[in-house]
Amino acid sequence: MYLVQHLFEQHGKHLGLDLLAGASGLSRKINRPEVHRPGLSLTGYLKGYVPARILVFGKQEIEYLKELDPAIREERLKSILTTTTPVVITARGFRPPKEMIAICDRIHIPLFRANATATNLLSRITFLLMEEFCPSVTLHGTLVEVFGVGVLIQGESSVGKSEAALGLIERGHRLISDDVVRVKKKEGSYLIGSGPELTRHLMEIRGIGIINVAHLYGAVCVRHDKGIDIVVKLEGWDDQHFYDRVGLDEKFIDILGSSVPFHLLPVKPGRDVVLLLETIALNHRLKDMGYNSAKEFNAKLLESISRRQKKRVLS
Amino acid sequence: MIVVRKVKVKNALGLHTRPAAAIVKLLQPLKSAVSFTYKDETINARSIMSILMLAAKKNSQITITAEGADAELAVRRLVTAFEEEFGEK
Repeated sequence: MYLVQHLFEQHGKHLGLDLLAGASGLSRKINRPEVHRPGLSLTGYLKGYVPARILVFGKQEIEYLKELDPAIREERLKSILTTTTPVVITARGFRPPKEMIAICDRIHIPLFRANATATNLLSRITFLLMEEFCPSVTLHGTLVEVFGVGVLIQGESSVGKSEAALGLIERGHRLISDDVVRVKKKEGSYLIGSGPELTRHLMEIRGIGIINVAHLYGAVCVRHDKGIDIVVKLEGWDDQHFYDRVGLDEKFIDILGSSVPFHLLPVKPGRDVVLLLETIALNHRLKDMGYNSAKEFNAKLLESISRRQKKRVLS
Repeated sequence: MIVVRKVKVKNALGLHTRPAAAIVKLLQPLKSAVSFTYKDETINARSIMSILMLAAKKNSQITITAEGADAELAVRRLVTAFEEEFGEK
């Protein structure tokens, strides 16, 4: 639930918002990440008007309102400022008409004044709201950046996720978050993970306790957020399970409706998990560049087989 | 078997590091998957970092969800630990 109060507290300064009226309505909910310039609606044409949008009055709206007869001005404003309107903002530092202040106070709509132009406010507020409204999920796992690839390490508790991450950090890779990863889906498909503010860059290592990676290894070893490129699930070695031995078939896992390449990595003493994770990341980069080692080799093999068959036919 | 129960944080300092460690410790011998839900955030109760992230203060309500053969036992032990204020009374 996102309230006008949150928008004001988090971004009020950055947007230069100045509260003029309707302070009692700060607890109103913003239900849609949409910002609207009322323009046409002020002329009395209300077909398709969505009242739950944030309203921004720019130069044209204010000038138009000024030209109207006071009684009509009030009537038109009343028809667009409804009980579901979350917040009203006037751009370029314009002083809103008296009627607007009165209506906002009466039906408790927060009314702000900002210095920026209406177009600028529209794009900035839309961007901020899109960030707030994008789908998100909290996952159990450790997010690291390995050779520039965002790797989400998952697996049961005590399988060695944190230890693997620590090993990677020691080799110069970066930690984003240990144990808890907040994932947001941006622009429809791009997944970005970050750590919760409070436990950012902290790790819990069995037998040692809680350590602060940023302090121990320095700022170069941590990152605030990172796109999730692959998911690696660590699990204790299971003799019954047939692990991928060729890598021809790629597996994917679903996170918030986006599919992410997935690897199941068995762990047992003697297997250097850190090195394996680095290899997975490098192989991912190679695939991204258009080279798939397994497929490439298989193509070569098939070609060689067919050549031999042809020879036999000839002889 | 899935067991869901609501508990209240009763100790004055809230869910800080020691209670989090106590929760993880009491769950260690149990097999069930246990999660806590607080303020629309659901986390794995076997992870200290996740519990700490909640930063649940005194009187906050937490929903415990346990799934597995010993779910009932897990929830009972957790409720007792919350009731006893993790020995901080």
